[in-house]
Order: sequence, then structure tokens, then C-alpha cells
Amino acid sequence: MSEVGSMVKLREMLSPVSNFHLDSSETCLGIVAAVLRRKGKEDVVILSKGHSAPAFYVMLHELGLLSEEELYSFADIDGLPSHVIRGLPLIEVSSGSLGQGLSVANGIALAKRMDGEGGRIYVILGDGELDEGQIWEAAMTASHHGLDNVIAIVDRNYFQLTGKTEEILNKEPIADKWRAFGWEVVEVPNREGEIERALREVEKIRGKPKVIIARWER
Amino acid sequence: MIESFREAFGRALVELGEEMGNLVVLDADVKSSTKTIYFERAFPERFIQVGISEQDMVSTAAGLAIAGKIPVVSAFAAFLMRAWEQIRNTVARDNLNVKLVPTHSGFSDHMDGSSHQCLEDVALMRVLPNMTVVVPADAPSVKPLLREILELEGPVYMRLGRDHALRVYEDPELELGRASVLREGDDVLIVANGVMVAMALKVADELKRRGIDAGVIDMHTVKPLDERTLLGMARGVGTVITMEEHSVYGGLGGAVAEVLSEKLPKKVLRIGTSEFGRSSRDYFALLERYGLTHERIVRKIEGVV
Repeated sequence: MSEVGSMVKLREMLSPVSNFHLDSSETCLGIVAAVLRRKGKEDVVILSKGHSAPAFYVMLHELGLLSEEELYSFADIDGLPSHVIRGLPLIEVSSGSLGQGLSVANGIALAKRMDGEGGRIYVILGDGELDEGQIWEAAMTASHHGLDNVIAIVDRNYFQLTGKTEEILNKEPIADKWRAFGWEVVEVPNREGEIERALREVEKIRGKPKVIIARWER
Repeated sequence: MIESFREAFGRALVELGEEMGNLVVLDADVKSSTKTIYFERAFPERFIQVGISEQDMVSTAAGLAIAGKIPVVSAFAAFLMRAWEQIRNTVARDNLNVKLVPTHSGFSDHMDGSSHQCLEDVALMRVLPNMTVVVPADAPSVKPLLREILELEGPVYMRLGRDHALRVYEDPELELGRASVLREGDDVLIVANGVMVAMALKVADELKRRGIDAGVIDMHTVKPLDERTLLGMARGVGTVITMEEHSVYGGLGGAVAEVLSEKLPKKVLRIGTSEFGRSSRDYFALLERYGLTHERIVRKIEGVV
């Protein structure tokens, strides 16, 4: 499905629920699409910004992992949960509480290393989520342990719940912060093709964790 | 005899680590205090240091559990509580196989004072769905209960003190979820856990001298609570007394009172704390100050029986 098609689907899905987190799902669609299309069998994807669950569900539907009926059951009492939970297709860990997904990714990466297993762990973060101190605890842990199979993608959409990110709490210089924490940083416009190229590019870098900052420019 | 909870834990972890290749241990820079340093020396490749960041540690453990490991998280109990929300939202909600085994609970970190003394953790953990909560009585209880919790699939909180483990058992066979009946008694029933089990036996001895016949249970598993043993033992007595090195709100006393009020209404006297601690050069002086020595407890029981 085209990017426009996914967007239409997302809006149809969220219109009965007062456009629940519509904006942060819209900006996340291209990221989720690029990651899920890039994901190999051994790879794990963590949606740390769990409120972008609608975007994730739309992509699961496109991949044939959720039916149309399931998609439109969003947030219905027995339907798809409003934030992702463990047990859904491709969801290894529940989220909804911000700031925890990167630590979980590190744990999976450490286990894979101990077991000599391959596979990458993709973590989708929000820019507002970077306010959480635990993100930076986890950023230190990942670089200290050289977890180069951890790839974070920041949905840099410049908005968080109650306002513009720079008005709520200044985030910039985001790239320098990650670099200072020992990460390889790639900045791209938030478009699926650009993100996909960045994912391929960072896979070649060894010895440290990688973060792609996907800037919303529309 | 006074032994050390953390020494028993550190050694048991190494012994069980020999048997269980999937066992991994995480630390937030307190390994020499919790004694997980023994595990690090024995199995450096299975020991993960995250620095002073308990929240990151708990969520990292969640990732390890998702990937099939059995992660043991240790820290000072008070500081592990700063990761309560991570425990709630990821470990408990996803029913992950993470073992939280803090030391320094209760008043055991007597020197460090109220910031380090943890008197609320059992309540905070007991309220979480999926969580099993265990409070071993003494040093010999640590290894068998540690084995039990490692063999259980699912999240567990096992609360340990620092040192000052008063000996109760020689070589105990303990089963998770099954209270250990230490003494039968017709007049009152004392339900205790942790270091208060040894104290409960002293209390029972003293009560006996005063003509009161007290039964004693080691309720090492607070959740799920062994209701059968509790109700069976409580049926014949007038008063049930709970003893714990923890707040009287929400811990063992709360759990026992909840069960009895619904199933066997009975007078319940909860012995524990309702305040923060304070620093003390001597552990037992601290117990005395908060009314947790056997003399003080006997007086309290005599006042209600």
C-alpha cells in the first residue's frame, strides 16, 4: 500500500475514537513501515512510543498479520489494545509507559550476544520520550557494552502531548547528545525511503549502537 | 546464631549458577554490598553491570527474560523501589521471568538510616498481579527458596535483609506458597516472616512461661498466601498476631487480615512499623526503638489477649 493509502487507513481506524494519538501515529507510519519491511527473521522490533500503536497496527494489517476486522476493533473492549501489548504479532514487549523500550532492547541484545545469536533490535522512540531519564541510562548501557545490534529510530516530529517539544523541554542538539553518549548518529528526513536507506547504512557500522533521527519536515 | 542474608544469597547464587546456564545476574553498582560479586567472579560472562540505574536495570532484565534468560536483579530494596513502575508495567504486566532479589530490606541497613531502610516493599510488590512475593526467614532458607523461585516461571520478588539473619532452621525443606508450621498452639497464632520468625519463636517461648500457648508459622511466601494453613491454624485460637520487619500496612499483616476478615473473622494484632526508620550503630537497638524486640512484642500481645 502507498504511504497515502496507509494514512487513509489510519484515519479511518481512528475517527471513531476521537483521533486517538493520530498525529504521533502519522509521523510514525514511515518509520514503522521501513523497519517492518527491513526486519529479518531473527530481528526484534520494540515500539517504545507505545501510543503510536495505531501506526503499527496499520502496518501489521498491510503485512497480512492483522485482519481488517481486527484493525477496526481498535480500543474496543475486546479489540486491539490502544497501546501495544506482548503477544500481538511482532510485539515482544508491552509499552505505553515511555522510556523503557531501549533498556528492554539492550537486554535482548545482551542475551543474543551471550547465545551467539544474530539479529538486530530496532527500537522506535518518540522525541518527547527523550525527556525520560531512563532513555539516557539505557543509552549509556548500550554504548558501554558495545551493543551494535541495537538500532534506535527517533520520531523527531517536534510535538509532544501538550505542545511543541522545544517549548515543553528543549531537546536539541539531539544528535550531539547521542554522539556524546557513544552512539553513531544518522539524521534523515522522515520518509520511508530515506529511513530505509539509513537502516541499511547503519547496519555496516560495528562496535557501537546506532540511532537514526527521522525529522518530520512536512 | 546470627548469620548473613546477603552472604547466603551470594553463595547460593553461584551454586545455582553452576546448575542453571540460563541464570544471569544484573547489578547497579552495589555488587559488593549485595554479594552478587561472587557470581561475577564465577561467571563474568553472565554478569551484567548497568551502573547506578535501577530503572534501566529492571527493564534490561525484562529484555533478557524475553530472550529466554533467567535474570536475577539485585539492589538495595529501597532503591529497587524507584523502578516500581518498570516492574509494574513491563515485568508484572507481561508476566516476565524476572527475579527481583534485593538485600538491605527492613531495618537491616541500620547504619545508613531512613533513606536506605525499606519498610514498604512487600506492600508495593504484593499489589501487583502475577507477582510472587517471598520473605525468607533466615540464612539456611535462602538457597532452597532461591531455587524454588528460579524454577518458577514468572516474576518474583524475594526480599532479603543485609546481615543479622537469626537462625531458625538447620537444613530446611521449604516449598514456595506453603507456610512452614514451626509450633502448634491453642491460645494465639503468630504468623511471621523474615527475621521476625526467629523473634516469634522467642515470643512464643516467653508467652509459654506466662501461660499463653502460641502457635508459630513461617509465612515465607506472602503471595500467594497459604490460606489453608493459615485458616487451619487460626481456627482454634482467639487472636492472630502478625510479625514483620515492614509496615503494618499492606504487607504480611495486611494479607493475613484480609483473608481472616473474609473467611474467619478473628481478632488480629499486627506487629510491624508505621514510620520511617533512622540510623543506628546497632541493629537490635533499632528493633527495640520500633517495638520489634521479643520483650516489647510480648507486652503488646499480653495487652490484647
